[in-house]
Amino acid sequence: MDPIIATALNTARARGAEYADVRLVSNREQRIVVRNGVMETMTADESVGLGVRALYNGAWGFASTRELANAGADQAAGQAVQIARASAGQNGAGLTAARLLGGPVASRGSYTTPIGIDPFTVALGDKLALLLAADTEMAAVPQVSARMANVVFIREERTFANTEGARVSQTIYEAGGGVQATAVGNGETQRRSYPQSHGRQQGCAGWEYVVEMDLAGNARRIAEEAAELLTAEPCPVGITTDLIIDSSQLALQIHESCGHAVELDRALGDEAAFAGTSFLTPDLLNDFRYGSEQVNITADSTSATGLGTFGWDDEGLPAQSTDIIRDGQFVGYLMSRESATRLGLPSNGCMRASSWNRIPLIRMTNVSLEPGEWTLDDLIADTDDGIYLETNRSWSIDDRRYNFQFGTEVGREIKNGKLGRLLRNPTYTGITPEFWRSCDAVCGPEHWTLWGTPRCGKGQPGQIAHTSHGTSPARFRNVRVGVMH
Amino acid sequence: MLGPDHIRSLLRDALRNLHLGDADIYLTATTQALTRFANNRIHQNVYHDDAVAHIRVAYQKRQGRAVTNNLSFDGLRAAVLQAREHAGLMPEDPDFPGLPSASQAASVHAYDEATANAGPEHRAAIVGTVCRKAADARLEAAGFYRTGVTELAVFSTRGPRYSYHAGTFAGLLITARSEDSAGWSKGGGWRMGEIDAEALADEAIGKAVRGRNPQDLEPGDYPVVLEHYAVDDMLEALSFYGMGAQMVQDGRSWMCGALGQPAMSPLVSIWDDGLDPAGWPVPFDAEGVPRSRVEIVADGVVQGPVHNSYTAAKAGLASTGHQRGATGGPTATNLFMRPGIRSTEQLIASVDKGLYITRFYYTRLAHNRGCVMTGMTRDGTFVIENGELTTPVKNLRFTQSYVDALAGCQALSDTAHLNLNEAGVAMHVPAALLESWRFTGQTV
Repeated sequence: MDPIIATALNTARARGAEYADVRLVSNREQRIVVRNGVMETMTADESVGLGVRALYNGAWGFASTRELANAGADQAAGQAVQIARASAGQNGAGLTAARLLGGPVASRGSYTTPIGIDPFTVALGDKLALLLAADTEMAAVPQVSARMANVVFIREERTFANTEGARVSQTIYEAGGGVQATAVGNGETQRRSYPQSHGRQQGCAGWEYVVEMDLAGNARRIAEEAAELLTAEPCPVGITTDLIIDSSQLALQIHESCGHAVELDRALGDEAAFAGTSFLTPDLLNDFRYGSEQVNITADSTSATGLGTFGWDDEGLPAQSTDIIRDGQFVGYLMSRESATRLGLPSNGCMRASSWNRIPLIRMTNVSLEPGEWTLDDLIADTDDGIYLETNRSWSIDDRRYNFQFGTEVGREIKNGKLGRLLRNPTYTGITPEFWRSCDAVCGPEHWTLWGTPRCGKGQPGQIAHTSHGTSPARFRNVRVGVMH
Repeated sequence: MLGPDHIRSLLRDALRNLHLGDADIYLTATTQALTRFANNRIHQNVYHDDAVAHIRVAYQKRQGRAVTNNLSFDGLRAAVLQAREHAGLMPEDPDFPGLPSASQAASVHAYDEATANAGPEHRAAIVGTVCRKAADARLEAAGFYRTGVTELAVFSTRGPRYSYHAGTFAGLLITARSEDSAGWSKGGGWRMGEIDAEALADEAIGKAVRGRNPQDLEPGDYPVVLEHYAVDDMLEALSFYGMGAQMVQDGRSWMCGALGQPAMSPLVSIWDDGLDPAGWPVPFDAEGVPRSRVEIVADGVVQGPVHNSYTAAKAGLASTGHQRGATGGPTATNLFMRPGIRSTEQLIASVDKGLYITRFYYTRLAHNRGCVMTGMTRDGTFVIENGELTTPVKNLRFTQSYVDALAGCQALSDTAHLNLNEAGVAMHVPAALLESWRFTGQTV
C-alpha cells in the first residue's frame, strides 16, 4: 500500500474514527477546441490529490489535500476526524459503523479500461487535423455563423483503501468528440450537433472511439441542417401527438426522469436543498407501475464504453448490473452502503466522487433502456401522425422528477407512416410515469447506442459526474408538444 | 492561504529565463469548508483546498495552454513548457491580439478574518440552530453553511505585472419542508457576520408553514411578483446566454438585434461592477485586466456586452476585464440591478390577481432569441388576490422570454439583496413586479 494511504488510515483510526477510507487520485485531461477555424483551447490539465472520509459516532467528516506527503495525509486525516466529531456533536448519538454501513467491504484488485489506442500517445497534430477537417466542412455552409469542434481525453488513476481491508487500484480512460454548427438568418438562430449535443459524445475508450465517429464525414450534413432549420416550419403548437424519440434524446430523458429519480439519497431527502427529492419513495419499491411493459431499465457499471463503467465504486463495491425498472415496475434504486442499509438491502455500488477533493455521492452508472424488437423503419411506417425528434437542445424537470420539458434541435413530421418536412424549435412536456406508461414500442439492438452524459451536476459543493445511458429509439403515444409558443 | 508574496515568487520563477515569447499564469486557490444538512441533521461535512495554475504562452499570433495543481517549481516549469509546445502546434489566429498590456487593477477589500478562520464547530453550531427551529415547527431542514477563502493572481511577462486578490465567502442556504410544502432562504457574501441564521431559518420555515395544502392552478398568463431569488435566476440566465461579447459576435446572444433598443421597461437598469463591495468584488479578470463597470441595460435600453481582450480587439474596443476563467468567453459575474421605490409588500398590494414566486428551479434556455427559458417554480408559490397572498399552489412550469418579461416590469422593490452562488457569481437584485408571466404546465 502507498505509504501516504497507510498514514491517512492510521491517523484516522488513531484520532478515533470507527471507519475511514482514502482515495488517492491522479487525473490527466487533454481538451482541444476549434472555434471558427482557429484553436480556441488546447489544454493539458493535471490534478493530483488525496481525500479522506472518516466516521465518528455515526457522523461523517471529509478533508482533502494536494500535498502528497505523509504530513499532508496526516493533516487531512486528522481534519476529517475533527470535522466528523463536530458533526457528531450536533447530531447526538449515532449508529455504530457496522449498523450504519452494513457488512464490511474488503475488495482487492486492479482494473484498467479496455482501450485500443492510448489517446495520450497520439500526436497532437493528428488530433488537430481531425478537428480542422470537420471545421472546414462546416465552413462551407454560408449561413453558419459559429462552428465548434472538440475532443477530450482523460486518464484517471485511482487507489481506494479503507479500514475494513479494501485495496483497489483503477486506471480509467475516457475519450470524446463532437461538432456543432450554429446558423443565423431569417430572424432565427438554429444549432445542429453531431454525434449529440452538449458538446460531444464521450465514452470510456481510447483514441479509436473518436476516429470512429467520423466527425468530418458528418460535419457538412449537420451544418446544412442548421441552415435548413432557419426557414423550416415551426413545431405545431399545443397539440398532443405521437412521438418517436431518437436514441440520444431518449438517453437524456432516461437520465432526468429515471436515473435521478431512482437515486436513493434523493428519495431519502439527503439532496432536498439542491437537486431535490424523488416521487419514487421507498414505499413504492416493488409496488409501482413506472412505465409500460415495454420499459426495462438497468443500472450496469460493466457496460463496454460506458462512462459509468469501472472496476469498483468509490466505496470499494464491485461493478455490477441491477434492475431498476422491470416490465414497467419500479424494482430498484441506485444505492450507497449507508442508504442501502437503511432499506435492509446490499449496496449496488453507485458511490462516485468527481475528484479527490469531493466526497462520493450516489451517482448514476450506466442507466439504460433495454432494446425491444422494432426496426426504426417499421416503427415510422406504423405511425400515422406524429413527430420524430432528434438531439437534445433544452431540458428541465421539477425537483421531484415529475414534470419535465425537453426541446430538441430538430423535429421531422411523420404523416401516414413516412418522414416528412423538418420542424424547428420542437418541444415536448409531460409527467414522468404517464409518459413512460405511454411507451408502446422500443426499437431493437441494432439501433441501440450507449450515450455519454459527462456533465451531470449534483451535490454541495458541486460535483460533475460522467454517466452513460443506452437506448434505442422508442415511441410514445399522445404527448403534448409545442409548448414554447 | 498561499499569500501574495509566495504566489508571486512561484509564478515569477516558473516563467523566468525561458524566452518563450509572452506568457501569463492565472492562479486560483480556494479553501472551502461546507457543512451540509438534511432531515434536521448534518449528513455531509467537508473541507477542501486546491490551487490551480493556468498557464498561457503566446507568440506569433499563437497561444498554447496548460493547467496544473502541482505548484512545485518542477511542476509549474513542466506545465509552462507544455503550454509552449502547444503554442507551437497551433495555427496562427489572425484575430488574436496578443496578451494584454500592463495595467494595474484597483485594490478592493473583500477579506474577513473571522470568515477565513471559521472552524467546523462554528459551522455545526449555526446548522444546529437552523435544524432545531425547523424541528420545533415540525419541518425537515436541509441546506448548507459554508465558509472559505479564494485567492486570485495573475503574473504576466507583459510589463511584467502582477495582480493579486484575496476574498472570503460565506453562505447559508436553507430549505424547510413538510410533506406537501417547502420554503427557501439564502444569505451570504464575503462576511459571515452579516448572515442572520435565525432570520433566514424563520424565512424558510414561514414559507413552508404557509405553503401547506397547495392547490391546483390553471396554467396561463399571470402578473407576478418575483422575490429577489427569482430575479437572481433571470439575471444569471441573461448573463450566461448573452451578456458576453463572444455570444454577440457569434449571433447567439439575446442582445443580437436589440443593441441600442428599448427592449426592457425604462425601470430596468443592469450593470456589472467588480469593484463594488456590496457585491462579491473581484478587481481583475483571468487575464489580469482591471474590471471596468459596464452598463448592460440603461433605463431599459440595451447598451452592450462585456469583453475580454480577444473580443474587444475584434470589436475595436478595450477589454472591460471580464475573462472569467482561463478559457471560454467573457462573462458578467458581478451584476447589479437598480432597485425601485416601493417595498415588496407594496408590490404585492398592487396586484388584484396574480402569483407570488419565491424562486425558480432547473431553468434552461429553450431559445436564445429573447432568452426564452423554461423551468419550474419552487419552495413557495402563492396566489395574490386583492393585494394579499392567499392560496399556496403546486409548482408550475413556465416557458417565458426573460427579455419580454422585463419589458413588462411595472415596479421593483426598494431593497436589493446579494445572491452569491457557489461558482462566485454575484447578483445584487431587488424583487420585481412583472405584468405577465407565461405558465405552461403544473406538476403533480
